[in-house]
Amino acid sequence: MKVAVKAQGLTKQYRDILAVDHIGLEVFEGEIFGLLGPNGAGKTTTIRMLTGQTKPTSGTAVVADHDIIRESIKAKERVGVVPEVSNIYDEMSAWDNLIFAAQLYSVPKIEREKRAKELLELFGLYERRKDRVVGFSRGMKRRVTIAAALIHKPKMLFLDEPTTGLDVQSSRMIRNLIKELNDSGVTIFLTTHYIEEADQLCQRVAIINQGRIVVVDNPEKLKAAMEERHVIEISFSPSRDLNDKLRGLSCVNNVSRLGDKFRLYVDDASEVIPSLIDFARKNSLKIISINTLKPSLEDAFVRLTGLSPEVMATEKEPIKKREE
Amino acid sequence: MANALKESIIKAVHVTEKDAKVYYFKAPNFTYGFLMPVSLFLAFSIAGQINSALIVSGLTSLVILFGTTSIEAVAVVLEKQTGTFERLLVAPVSFFTILFGKALAGFFFGLVLATVILVPLAVVSGTTIANPILVLFAIGFSSLAFSALGALVSAYAKWVPEAQMLSNFLRFPMAFLSGTFVPLELMPSQLGIIARFLPLTYSVEALRISINGSAPITTYLLDILILALFSFALLFAATKVLQRRLE
Repeated sequence: MKVAVKAQGLTKQYRDILAVDHIGLEVFEGEIFGLLGPNGAGKTTTIRMLTGQTKPTSGTAVVADHDIIRESIKAKERVGVVPEVSNIYDEMSAWDNLIFAAQLYSVPKIEREKRAKELLELFGLYERRKDRVVGFSRGMKRRVTIAAALIHKPKMLFLDEPTTGLDVQSSRMIRNLIKELNDSGVTIFLTTHYIEEADQLCQRVAIINQGRIVVVDNPEKLKAAMEERHVIEISFSPSRDLNDKLRGLSCVNNVSRLGDKFRLYVDDASEVIPSLIDFARKNSLKIISINTLKPSLEDAFVRLTGLSPEVMATEKEPIKKREE
Repeated sequence: MANALKESIIKAVHVTEKDAKVYYFKAPNFTYGFLMPVSLFLAFSIAGQINSALIVSGLTSLVILFGTTSIEAVAVVLEKQTGTFERLLVAPVSFFTILFGKALAGFFFGLVLATVILVPLAVVSGTTIANPILVLFAIGFSSLAFSALGALVSAYAKWVPEAQMLSNFLRFPMAFLSGTFVPLELMPSQLGIIARFLPLTYSVEALRISINGSAPITTYLLDILILALFSFALLFAATKVLQRRLE
C-alpha cells in the first residue's frame, strides 16, 4: 500500500511547552486515518505541521510525496485542509469564497466555476451561493470550508476536529460526507476528540496523549486487545456520585460515570457482580440495570491513556470570532 | 522559473482583489487616512509659513502614509485574528506572495487616497502641477513603500490596536523628520541625516520635484529608486517576521 503521509520524529516545542514529542506515523493512500486524543494532546499542532502552517522544531514528514519543509508549496498543492474553525471570509459569498480558493490553487478559469457549482450542489448550498457567509449557520460554514478545501480535487484531505461545535444533524451530514469522499478515493486524515467518531469513521486510529503517540491500530484490533478485560455497566436508584466507593471494591480497576450509569472496568465480571449486589444492599441502593458490555474503543482508550472518557468530552474554549 | 514567477504574481493579484472586496470599501479606512494628516497639516500650516507646493506634496505623502499603513493593519492583522489567514497559509502560496498581494492592495488604496486629496488641494491652493505623469509615479512608488511598511508592522503585531500603536511610533516621527512641514534644508544637519533613512523623505521630495518641476530629474529618479528599494526591503523583512511569528 502506498504511503500518503510519513512522519518521523516530528516534534514541536513552543518555548517551554513540548506540544508534540517525537511522533512517527504512516497514513496509507485511500484510508481514513484518525488522530484521537483529548484537547491539548497535540492533534492540531501535528496537523498544522503536516500541512505546512508551522515548522517542526525537529523531525521530518513527507506528505503526498513531498517533504513538508523543503517542498512545502508542492505538498500544499496536493492536499486540502479543513481547520477546526471555519476560515472562510464572512464578508464574501459562498460562491466568491470558492472561486478565491480555486484561484489560490491555480485552478483554470473555466474549471473554477464548474467545480464551484458542482461542490455547492453536492453540499446543498447552491441556492445560497450568492449570500454572504456571515448569515450562515455553523454547519453551513463548515460545509463551505470543506468545499473550499476540495476545489482543486486534492487526493488527500486533512480535517481538524470536523464536527466539533456542530449540532447532531450537521455532524451526521459531515461524517457521511467524509465517508463519501473516502469512497471516491480521497485519503482522509482527521483529528478528533470524539471516540465514537473515530470508531465510526476511521480504518486506523493513532491515540495521542501529551504530545506522544500511544498506539496506532485498527479500532477493532484495539477493542479485541481489551477482550480479556470486562466492562460492567450499572445504574442505581437513587442516582448519586459513587465513583470513589465503587473504585474501592476489590477487582474493580477503574470507574467512569456516564449520565446515570457507572462503567466498571474489571478483570472478572462473575466475581464482581455478587460484590455489587452486596454493595447496593449495604448502601441502601436499588439496582436499576446491570449489563456486561463488549469492550468499546473508549474502553481501549481509557486503558491505553489512563484518561477518563470525561476528559475527552471536554470541549475547547470557544474561539472568539471577530464581531461585525 | 518564469512560469513560477508569473503564477506568483497572478496569485498575489487574487489576494489583492480579495482584500479589496473584504476590507477596503469601508468608510473608517478612508476617513482615518485623511483625518490625521489633514489635522496635523492644518495645525502647522496655520502656525508657519508653508508654500503651496510644500502643502500639496507634504499632505499627499502623509495621506498615503497614514492611509496605507492603517489599511495594512486591518487587512493583515485582522485576518490573522479571525483565522482566515490560515486559508492563505495552507494554500500553495509563499509568504512573500501573500504579503506582496496585500501590499499591492495598499498600493491601489494609496493611489485612490492621494488622488482624492491632491486634485482638490491643488485647485484650492492654486498650485500648478508641472508634470502629472511624474506625480503619478511618485504617488505609486510612495504607496508601495508605505504599504510594505504597514505589512512589516502588521506581520509582527498580534492585534489591530498593537499594529496601530507600532505604526504611530513610526508615522509621527517620520511626519516631523521627513521635510513634510519644514523643508530639509532648514532643519538641523543631524536631523537631515536621519531624514535620509526615512522613506517619507523621498516620497515628499519626489512629489515636490514633480509638482514644481524645478529640481533636476536625476534627483527625482533617485528618489523613486530608493522608494522601490524600500518597498522590496520592507516586504522581505515582513516575510521573515511573519515566518518567525508563525513558528
